[in-house]
Amino acid sequence: MDRIHSLYLHIPFCTWVCKYCDFNAYAVLEGLIPPYVGALRHEIDIAGGELPIGPLETVFIGGGTPSLLTATQVRQVMERVRAIGLASSAEVTLEANPSNITGQAVEGWLAAGINRLSIGVQSLQPDALRFLERLHSGTDAIAAIRTARTGGFANVSADLLYGVPGVGLDTWLDTLQSVLDEGVQHLSAYELTVESGTRLGQEVRTGLVQMPDADDQLEQYWAAAARLEAAGYAHYEISNWAQPGYACRHNLAAWNYQPYLGVGAGAHSMFRRADGSTERLWNVKGPHVYIKQASEGGHAVDGNETLSAERARGEAAMIGVRLLEGTIAAREFPGQRQQLVGAGLLMESDGHVRLTRRGVELANQVGAAFLVEAAATQQGKG
Amino acid sequence: MSTPTHLTRAISVIAHVDHGKTTLSDRLLEYTGTVAQRDMVEQVLDQLDLERERGITIKAQAVRMLYKADDGNTYQINLIDTPGHVDFSYEVSRALAACDGAILVVDASQGIEAQTLANVHQALDHHLKIVPVVNKIDLPQADPELVREEIEKVIGLPAESVIFASARQGIGTKEILEAVVREVPPPTGDPNAALQALIFDAKFDAYRGVVTYIRVLEGTLLPGMRIQMMQTGKSFEVDEVGIFRPERTPVEDLSAGEVGYLIANIRNVRDSRVGDTVTDEARPASAPLPGYRHVTPMVFAGLFPTDTEQYQQLKDALEKLQLNDAALVYEPETSAALGFGFRCGFLGLLHMEIVQERLEREFNLTLLGTAPTVEYRVKLRNGEEIPVDNPDHLPDPAEIEAISEPMVIATIVVPSTYVGNMMELSQERRGQFLNMQYEPGDRVVITYRMPLAEIIHDYYDQLKSRSKGYASLDYEVVGFEEANLVKLDVLVAGSPVDALSMIVDRAKAQQQGRRLAEKLKTLIPRQLYEVPIQAAIGGKIVARETVPAMRKDVTAKCYGGDVTRKRKLLEKQKEGKKRLKRVGNVEIPQEAFMAVLSLD
Repeated sequence: MDRIHSLYLHIPFCTWVCKYCDFNAYAVLEGLIPPYVGALRHEIDIAGGELPIGPLETVFIGGGTPSLLTATQVRQVMERVRAIGLASSAEVTLEANPSNITGQAVEGWLAAGINRLSIGVQSLQPDALRFLERLHSGTDAIAAIRTARTGGFANVSADLLYGVPGVGLDTWLDTLQSVLDEGVQHLSAYELTVESGTRLGQEVRTGLVQMPDADDQLEQYWAAAARLEAAGYAHYEISNWAQPGYACRHNLAAWNYQPYLGVGAGAHSMFRRADGSTERLWNVKGPHVYIKQASEGGHAVDGNETLSAERARGEAAMIGVRLLEGTIAAREFPGQRQQLVGAGLLMESDGHVRLTRRGVELANQVGAAFLVEAAATQQGKG
Repeated sequence: MSTPTHLTRAISVIAHVDHGKTTLSDRLLEYTGTVAQRDMVEQVLDQLDLERERGITIKAQAVRMLYKADDGNTYQINLIDTPGHVDFSYEVSRALAACDGAILVVDASQGIEAQTLANVHQALDHHLKIVPVVNKIDLPQADPELVREEIEKVIGLPAESVIFASARQGIGTKEILEAVVREVPPPTGDPNAALQALIFDAKFDAYRGVVTYIRVLEGTLLPGMRIQMMQTGKSFEVDEVGIFRPERTPVEDLSAGEVGYLIANIRNVRDSRVGDTVTDEARPASAPLPGYRHVTPMVFAGLFPTDTEQYQQLKDALEKLQLNDAALVYEPETSAALGFGFRCGFLGLLHMEIVQERLEREFNLTLLGTAPTVEYRVKLRNGEEIPVDNPDHLPDPAEIEAISEPMVIATIVVPSTYVGNMMELSQERRGQFLNMQYEPGDRVVITYRMPLAEIIHDYYDQLKSRSKGYASLDYEVVGFEEANLVKLDVLVAGSPVDALSMIVDRAKAQQQGRRLAEKLKTLIPRQLYEVPIQAAIGGKIVARETVPAMRKDVTAKCYGGDVTRKRKLLEKQKEGKKRLKRVGNVEIPQEAFMAVLSLD
């Protein structure tokens, strides 16, 4: 098995689960945080003893709302992470909600070894924040970015949502500009996506909410991309931009099909085997069950799947093609590659293929094409 | 085991679809102890899974029951279950020819419908004694008295002979059996005469070859006998004769009046044709039984594997299916758009659907079927006449002298409120009004002469929807008639798609072209490019629509934990594409090829 240099830790707790969210997150369970931290520490210890892991180059504490953990709890977790080996240059990210970002918290996180903060701003516009059920204001969010930066974080990212009903192009660009004006190093702009199991999904289904159409969504997307590039941010993944040297290394590893260990409720792990196959495992989702299983045996695996080398190559291309500088993973699929170039979705340069503008808009079609060819190749062999 | 001839009966159950024929048959089997209740899989007589799911009988079944009647005698009752669909009306007629009586089942809430009448007429043609039953009397909307009156007035059977029943609840079962032994005459054949046995069905058994379902009308059939099929002229040596109870049970002989089967190392159902007469080669009967017809397909369609590599599998599957389905014909066909496949001929639309479904289910194929058409007769200027069962093969208009198409007499039974709608629909479909008759129970019987092509194009569905489901239909093919027809072509992304061509009435061609283009626009999913759709008559474009290019398909987030889900989502999309056929650069779904069927 290939050596693992990336670790993801999932914190499934939230003060409030926003209506569009379909992550593994739970409100009103904050009381479980102390035993959860204990379970997480145990799972890290056991995995460290069993897997070819470390030194870790990237650590990502995501959620949920990891900033609900106290600085002490973050430190306790990081102690165990260090025990399995943490490179001195490692990128260590914590996702934070603006409401939790105080000077004291920032000091504590830095002391615990966090060196990158990803802040869930989402919007600055009051109506949009209300629609999204965010509990912070735009002012809170701007203040949070400033606190993080003045408190010592040299690598700060902000998450924003576009395509929010009722938010026009100008308002969206104003929000984006205000966040960029704060000097963040990294920015993720996500289209507000309607997931069927969410309350937003239900509101859309019943006609209570009408989502903007594809043209409006794409207009906001490309306008943001232009604004970001003009401001010196490189567009390196479909929804991500960074100043030079600040692309998220943790996510880049995953997009480049590097293995990672995921710990915590519902976390996914990906391992690569010498024969080219990929194994994915995922933990139980519910925090209660997770705490029980991880505390007792150090494992909480709920399911797994193994992809043959062929299918793994298809998956690698599907993910890799999201990187705008291109990927070499697609070189395995000459047939589809040629067709997609012909269709104007891909372009080729020195062994890399990358998405055209139209290809970005239809990236799933490109990904699916690689999966199809991978499956066909496999059938041909089987 | 052997029953004296005067205690033997042969009956059939006839009914309109869904009036409860199969349930009633099940009750008879149960009541006579032929099948123990605990062994009763619901609908014993419908043996194919498909039949059970669709609630229809495709092939005839036969079973022998023993019934101890109130008069103290034990009767042998042979029950022949007939197919319940107009596609199989010839099979029905042969099954009836093998009977002496028929139980007529009429739904207590639906009353007499088109097939009821058609079945009754057939039964009367065969001089069968009819035992009328009003079924489903337990349903809240049932009106058994009214239906009884209808039976007397429309069919002419005395009201007092009508038995009220609920097959579901077992009400009336005994009364029906008593009426059968009392009313239906015993067979009249002579066991010592020259052998005449009527074939009413045949099934292919992988181990024994063809199992031929017969009724012996004259003489006696024995194992070891050398038999001859009087229509096909082929002869075979009988290995086994037997009866159905309901599983196959060998017996020593089958003599005049008895119903059963014979096995004679016959390798193909084609050699055991429904309606043919089995006789003794050594002492042949002087003439075959009347009524034999060589069954010819009425409806034709192309079947293509969506995966071109499945061509050989499809060929093998058709061969196997044909062993058991003498009405199915096929020949290789090449389509510029769809590749290699087969042009298949069917008895009707249901037969077509069943064949396609069986090919897919039993042989694990994914098929694309083109819209069904009829067979046209094209008279060329050079005097030649050619059959055309594929619109794309219609010769150049300059070479054509005239085109004839098959015609039917359609009988519609409908409540009087909907007569206007029915006539409007039939006029639209080039129908020539023949007759209209008001019957009791607010029922009108309307007959039209119309092209079969119009019937297979969505006519039945329209009939149903324009009568709130009340209308019923039966039809009979009556020959060919000249018509002013023209070929309508479809171009997708600039290239003609041969499988979408259709032959239409010249007067309606332009309008049909517009509708077809509009319809295809809604059926062809958005592609990476804009896709123009054009309809053309003789090279002249008469309609144009455009499927806009796909605008956006991108997932905002794809992180470590999302990958499995995303991959599965894309794989599912891909799975959905299996039903799409790539024609040039455009993916066309199965429904598009069927679009020509419903242009109203």
